[in-house]
Amino acid sequence: MSLKDLTRLPRRRALAALGSSLLLPSTLKAGAAERRFAPIREEDLLVGFGHTSPITDGGWSYAHNQGVEAMKRAYPAVKTLFVESVPYSADATRIFRQFVAEGAQMVISTSNYGDFIKDVADRAPNVAFMECDGHTVSNNLGWYYITHWYASYVIGIAAARLSKTGKLGYVASFPVPSVYASANAVLLGARSVNPNATMRVISINSWFDPQAATEAGAALVDSGCDFLCGIMDDPGYLRVAEKRGVWAAMWNTDMREFGPNAYVSSVTLDFADFYIQQVGARIRGEWGPEGRFLTLGKGVDRDRWGQNVPEAVQKEADAARDRMLAGWSPFQGPIYDSDGKLRVPPGHVMTDAEMYGWSWQVQGVSGLG
Amino acid sequence: MSAVSHRTRLTVVPSYRIAVGRGLSILAALNIVAITLTAMGRSPVELAGLIVRSTVGSRFGIEDLALFMTPLMLTGAAVWVGIRVNLWNIGAEGQLYAGATAATAIGLFTNWPTLVALPSMIVAGMLAGAAWIFVPAAARAWLGVSEIVTSLLLNFVASLLVYYLATGPWADRVTGALASTERLHTAFPELWGAVHLGFILALATVIGLGIGLAKSRFGYETAVCGSNPQAAHYAGIGVAPRILAVLLLSGALAGLAGVFEVAGTVHRLQGGLANNYGYLGIVVALLARGSCLALIPAALLMALILDTGIVLQTTQISSSAVLAITGLLVLAIAAGDELAAYVRVNRT
Repeated sequence: MSLKDLTRLPRRRALAALGSSLLLPSTLKAGAAERRFAPIREEDLLVGFGHTSPITDGGWSYAHNQGVEAMKRAYPAVKTLFVESVPYSADATRIFRQFVAEGAQMVISTSNYGDFIKDVADRAPNVAFMECDGHTVSNNLGWYYITHWYASYVIGIAAARLSKTGKLGYVASFPVPSVYASANAVLLGARSVNPNATMRVISINSWFDPQAATEAGAALVDSGCDFLCGIMDDPGYLRVAEKRGVWAAMWNTDMREFGPNAYVSSVTLDFADFYIQQVGARIRGEWGPEGRFLTLGKGVDRDRWGQNVPEAVQKEADAARDRMLAGWSPFQGPIYDSDGKLRVPPGHVMTDAEMYGWSWQVQGVSGLG
Repeated sequence: MSAVSHRTRLTVVPSYRIAVGRGLSILAALNIVAITLTAMGRSPVELAGLIVRSTVGSRFGIEDLALFMTPLMLTGAAVWVGIRVNLWNIGAEGQLYAGATAATAIGLFTNWPTLVALPSMIVAGMLAGAAWIFVPAAARAWLGVSEIVTSLLLNFVASLLVYYLATGPWADRVTGALASTERLHTAFPELWGAVHLGFILALATVIGLGIGLAKSRFGYETAVCGSNPQAAHYAGIGVAPRILAVLLLSGALAGLAGVFEVAGTVHRLQGGLANNYGYLGIVVALLARGSCLALIPAALLMALILDTGIVLQTTQISSSAVLAITGLLVLAIAAGDELAAYVRVNRT
């Protein structure tokens, strides 16, 4: 890059200076910069969506696409483009560039694409970019994510009440922050009512691999777990739980039909309001790049309880949910990691940003990292 | 006296006949694609307009073509130098990974100034590509082991090695990027949008290679080895060392493609980096036939097809469709080349 700095930029700067001094009055130029995301008529707006899996996956991409459909009902004249199964590679860059080339004024990736989306955003300063599970805010790129840990905590309380052995099993994808936050929150919720509860984790290196998820679920039941949870796009381990007579909690959507007796709840997602609000802001010229958490009850929640979950358990877990809705956070120190080291000192309440970057397992969780 | 029309096959086909034959083949293939799209209920005219607008008709599209062409010209050249002397390097994919890995090592673990780091990456990447094909090359030169199988199998070794490095010892701990290394500290300078110096260097490499092989003693001797090893032997040319040298050159060219891809386009080592460029290089080399310079338009055509695939995906046409279109085009062009070789002769 230093070569570029030496050779390219001065000329560009010189040209820009020349251009601005000769062609544009400086006031007009400043105005142009402010109008970067100027209001746009609904029928002129084109929004591109990049999904990480097929929108028929019944999980993550399906949930996002439901939000997109709701946005289209709210703004029927808005045109959309979408690509499914966007790979995590340089082809992702090409797909996002293609959205821009086709005239999209707004590009939304419903999963993390890191540099592959940022590189495009940097070169298309007049296009608004949003990255789900992203971590970068620039002049025209923002991120959004759900604070799913609160819903997971609620489910954790029910888990401890339903489990007889106190052993919870977790089917994970990769040891990444969203998975740490999910698994940790379930166990912290469980330990709030049963301090001896433990969690065993198996990572299957995929978000969508029904066979591996099924095998992992069966292995966890074999090792004594009688409550399965995890972070999968498919209901694989719910079927295992139904067959083996144990409990299961899911992610993304209501999956009770695949195991009505075992089903406890799910971390459900609803991006409808968010997409409507973002697209609306873009139309009105009010859109700005920011990092945004969709909070409990406003984009993420626990699902309606399963048919076999006793009412007392539902009430106890929902009481915690009500307190969280009123502003209370259960993620307070002291919290120890699985090596027994104090990570969150007493009195400190973990921020959402801290949990968004969670990179260690809490005491009682084993097998994740 | 009636004139009977016969056809005869030319041994040397004039290039204008090839040009006409290929033009007609491409038209025929596009027509088949258009008919298929119509049968799927799509409007081929609308899609064609979209494809033209977003490939050659837009700044981003043209940049993407150049980015696709950069590795394709080099993997095409890697396969082409082999085919020229009857050797088939099917392992350009693996050598590309090897070159990218070597460049990544320099990009991650040194803080050398750009003017030192970039040439070092190029040298290390080319050496790594050559090293990756060394065993198949030596086995072919002295033991007569088919280089097709051995070079192919090493692709999988290279790909898994890169996955291991990108998710294991070299995994990014800084930004937590999924399954890739940290961003390299050095990059090839960007010249025009995302198009980087690698594009110019790849062009120069192909042109230099074409001139070098046409004018040099090495080029002549290897050509003799390729067309008739026994004649070469009688002429006092050592065949085995020439075979080794050509395959090492082939591996080095593919390795160079990996250097430009990782340090110019992607900036992080990760699984899937090669993006099939190694295999597509075979197509590019076949399209270029005997001419090294023809690698450039052949790579452009391949880049156009790949870019079209990206465009079609935004209209919910599966990415596999582009594979089918590629196959159809190559088939049509092969048929066109063959038909172009036949001329009508009138006998009385």
